[in-house]
Amino acid sequence: MNLNATDLCLTVDGVDHLRNVTATFRPGRLHTVIGRTMAGKTTLLRALAGLQGVDSGSLTRAGEDFLRTPVWRRDTAMVYQQFINYPHLTVFDNVAFPLKRAGLSRDEIRHRVQQSLASVGLTDFGKRKPSQLSGGQQQRVAIARALARRTGILLLDEPLANLDYKLREQLRDEFKALFSDQGDTIVIYTTTEPAEAMMLGDVVLVMHEGRILQTGTPQEVFERPATTTVASIVNDPPMNVFAGRLKGGQVTVAGFQAAHVSAHLAELSDGAYQFGLRATDVSLASSGVDGEVTYVEISGSETFVHVVVGETPFVVQLEGIHDVDLGDLVKLRLRPDRLFAFDERGALVRTPSHDLVSVEGR
Amino acid sequence: MRSRLYPVFKYTVIALWACFVAGPFFWAMTTSFKNANAVQGGPTYIPWAQYEPTLTGWRNIFGGAGGVDVVGPFVNSAIVTVAASAISLALGSLAAYALSRYRFRLGFIKNSDIVFFFVSQRIMPPVVLVIPFFYLLQWGGLLDTIPGLVIVTVALLLPIAVWVMVDFFNGIPREIDEMAMLDGCPPFQTFVRAILPNSLPGLTVAAMFCAVFGWNDFFFAFRLTFTEVQTLPQAVVALNSSIPPWWTLSAAALFGVAPLILLALWVERLLSKGNLSGAVR
Amino acid sequence: MDGLRRHKSTFLLPGLLTLFLIIIFPLLFTIRVSFSGWNVSNPQMDFIGGANYTAVLHDSRFWASITRLVLLAGGTVLIQYVIGFGMALLVWREARGRRFWRVLFLVPMMTTPVVMAAIWQTIFHESLGPVNDLLEMLGLTGIPWLTESGPALAALMTVEIWQWTPFMFLLLLAGLLSLPKEPFMAAAIDGAGTWRTFRKVTFPLMAPVSVAAVVIRLIEASKLSDSVYVLTSGGPGSSTETPGYYLYIQGLRDQQTGYGGAMSLTYLVLMIVTLTVVAALLTRAFKLKGDS
Repeated sequence: MNLNATDLCLTVDGVDHLRNVTATFRPGRLHTVIGRTMAGKTTLLRALAGLQGVDSGSLTRAGEDFLRTPVWRRDTAMVYQQFINYPHLTVFDNVAFPLKRAGLSRDEIRHRVQQSLASVGLTDFGKRKPSQLSGGQQQRVAIARALARRTGILLLDEPLANLDYKLREQLRDEFKALFSDQGDTIVIYTTTEPAEAMMLGDVVLVMHEGRILQTGTPQEVFERPATTTVASIVNDPPMNVFAGRLKGGQVTVAGFQAAHVSAHLAELSDGAYQFGLRATDVSLASSGVDGEVTYVEISGSETFVHVVVGETPFVVQLEGIHDVDLGDLVKLRLRPDRLFAFDERGALVRTPSHDLVSVEGR
Repeated sequence: MRSRLYPVFKYTVIALWACFVAGPFFWAMTTSFKNANAVQGGPTYIPWAQYEPTLTGWRNIFGGAGGVDVVGPFVNSAIVTVAASAISLALGSLAAYALSRYRFRLGFIKNSDIVFFFVSQRIMPPVVLVIPFFYLLQWGGLLDTIPGLVIVTVALLLPIAVWVMVDFFNGIPREIDEMAMLDGCPPFQTFVRAILPNSLPGLTVAAMFCAVFGWNDFFFAFRLTFTEVQTLPQAVVALNSSIPPWWTLSAAALFGVAPLILLALWVERLLSKGNLSGAVR
Repeated sequence: MDGLRRHKSTFLLPGLLTLFLIIIFPLLFTIRVSFSGWNVSNPQMDFIGGANYTAVLHDSRFWASITRLVLLAGGTVLIQYVIGFGMALLVWREARGRRFWRVLFLVPMMTTPVVMAAIWQTIFHESLGPVNDLLEMLGLTGIPWLTESGPALAALMTVEIWQWTPFMFLLLLAGLLSLPKEPFMAAAIDGAGTWRTFRKVTFPLMAPVSVAAVVIRLIEASKLSDSVYVLTSGGPGSSTETPGYYLYIQGLRDQQTGYGGAMSLTYLVLMIVTLTVVAALLTRAFKLKGDS
C-alpha cells in the first residue's frame, strides 16, 4: 500500500511551503527527506499526517483519499523534533496510550510496551514521568510510543536535531537496527544532515524551497546530484560550487588554468560551466587558485578552511590540524579528476567517475 | 545603601498592615463570644480579662432557642456555588479550548473578540441585570429557587473560567493535541484524555476564583431569592442591625467566611509546592 | 485540519450561547423598558419615548453619585495600588515568615464583602466600636463614623481598601516573582541604590502588570454597591450613594422600572466609555515611557 502524493501545494501568507510535491512512499522502506531548515520538510510531514491542510494536490493510500481521512484515522505515528510526550503519564502509560485507544487487550498492551521500551533501551524506566528523564531518554520514549503502535506510516521529524552530538551519533546507529525490521511500515524521516540521510535512507528525497529536487538511492543522490543545489545540500560541508570555463578538457577557474586535461570532461563542448567539488577534493598548495582565508574551523582531527576566491566561497577540508590564520593569502589546488560539471542553469552534465554510478541499487 | 534601620522599618510596616488586615477577624472572633452585657459595656478585646466569654452567639446560629438558622443557608450557598462553578468550568474550559486551538472567523469577529466578549461581561454591574433576571426567572417559574440562582450565577462565573483557561491552554504545547489525535483520539477525546489531565493547575485556579465569586455573591441572591432559598451572605446581612445582637452576627460572619479562609490556606499550600505552576515545562 | 472544522464549534458554542442567552435577554429587556413608563403604579411596557433619559440627565442625585463613584473608585484604587505594591515589595524576597504574611495578606479578598461590611459596621460603631475606642486611647475624640457624610465616606473607603488591597498585592507579587533577574544584576553592578533600582528597573518592568491590576480593580470598583448597602445604606441622606446603590433604590426598592432601565444604560455606557479611555491612557502612558 503505497502512499502517493501528487502535486501537493501549500501557500501560507504568500510564502510557498509546498510546491508541486509529488512522491511515492513505499512500505518497508525508509525514506529520508533531506533539506535545509525551512525547506518544507516539516510541512510535508504534517500534511502527510493530516495536521496541516494543503491548497491543492492529492494524497492517496490504497485507493483511499487520504486528504479526507481525519488525523485520528490515518494510521500514522509521528516523532517530533521537540521531545513531545504526555507530561501527566508515566513512560509506560505514554507508550501504552495509543495502544489503549486502539482497543488492544491488556496483555497485548503490556507485551508491546515492554518490547518497545526494550528496543529503545528504557526497560527500567516505565514508572518514571517524562520530566524525570534526560532529553535523549525523552526522545526515546517518543520513539518507543511511535514504534509500539506498528502503524502503517511512521513519520520522524528531525528526531535527533535537539540532541547533543554524541547522543545523536549513538541514536543514529540504533535507528539503523530499529527501522530495519519495521515490516510493511512506510517510514519517512526528515533531516538536515547528509550523513544521517545517507546512512539511514533506502530512498533519499532532496527538498528545497518547498520542492522535491531529486529522489533516488543514497548513492544516486550522492554520486549524481541532479543540480548544484542538490549537490550542496547532500554534502557536508556543502559541495563547493563555482563558475569556470572549459576548453579542450582543460578547466580554468578564476584565471588559473589547470595543468592537465580532465579526462572525464574531455568530451564536453568548450564554454562556461558551473563546477562542483567536494571539500575533501580541494587542498592548499604552492600554486593554484588565489584566495583569502575568511574563517578556520578545527574539529577533532580535521581542519575546515573557509576561503573566498573573488566573491565565491570555498571550503577546504584538511586532515589533521593546520596552522592557517584569518586573512592569509592561499592558493587552492582543485583536483581536476573529481570535478562535477553542471550547465549554467545548474543541471548536472557530467560526474567525475560515471562508472561508479552504474552500480544500480545496493 | 540600606541602613541598619531598614529591617526595623520593614517589619514594623508589615506588622502594622497585618494588624489592619487581621483586625476585623480578631474583632469578630472576640465579639462572637460576648453577650449583651459585654457588648453594651463598650469595646473590650481580651476574654476572661475584660469580659466573661459565653457561647450564646455560636449557640444562636446553630439552632439555639431564639437564634437564627445559618446551616440551611450554608447548604444553599454550597449547592449554588458548587453547581454554578461546575457548569462554568465545564462550559468555560470547552470554550476556552476552542478559542485557544482553533481559528474562528465570522465577518470581522476573530478569536480575540470572542474572548473579549466573554471577559467583558465582568464589567456588567449586577444591578443592571437583576430586574430583567427577575422577570425572566419569574416567567420560567425559577424565582426563589436554587436552579434559578445557579443560572444567573453562571453568568458571573463563566467569564472568569474562560479568562483563566484560555491563558492556561495557550501555555500547553499544541503538539500534545496533535500527538493525541495521531494516537487515535478524535477531538473531544483529545481534550478529555490529553489536555484536561494536564490542566489541573489552571482548573484549580479557575475553580478557586469561581468558588470565591460564587460564594460571595450577595446581590443576585438578595433580589432573586427570598424565603424558600436564602444564601449565607443573605442570612448574615439579615442579622446586620445597629441594635446589636453582635455576638450572633459575628459568629455567623465567621462561619460564613471560614470556608473561604480554608480555601486560601489550601491554595497557598498548592502555590508554595509549585503545584500551580505549569504542568508542562 | 479539515476533519477538525466541524468540531471546533461543538467546543465553543455551549459556553458562548449560554452566556449570550443569559446576557442578551436582560440587555434587550433593559433597553426596551427604558423607553417605557413602567413603575410601581403602572407596571406595563408602554412607550413614552426618551422621557426617562431626559429625566436621568436632570437627576442631580444620579450625577452626584457618579461624581462620588469616580472619586471613591479612583481614590481607593490608587491607595490599594500603593499599599499593595509596597507590601509586595516587602515580602517579595527575603522576609521572615514570608509564607504566613502572604496568606494573611490575601485573606480579605477571599472573604464575602457584604459579610465583612457587616463586621466593619460594628467596628465603626460610634460608642461601642473599637475604632473610636482606639482614638480615645490616643487622646483624640471619637468620630460619628457612619452618621456624618465625611467620616462615612472615609469608612467606606477604608473597607474597600481593606477588602481589595490584597488583590493588588496578589497580582503585583506574582508580577514581581516572574521578573527576569538580569536587569537587577545590571543595576547592582552599576551601583544603583534601592530607590534608583526601583525607579529605573522595578517600576518600568512592572508597568504592564500594574496597568492590568489597576484596570481590573477600576472595573470591579465601578460596580460598588453591596458594601454601601450594608455599611451606610447610602446615608446619611444620600451622601455615600453610588450609582449602583442609587439604581437599586430607584429600580428595585421603589420599582421605577422604566426610569431605572434608562439610568442603568446611562451608567453602563458611561462606565464602558470611561474605563476604555482610562485603560487606553494608562497603556499609552506606560508605553511612551518605555520608548524614551
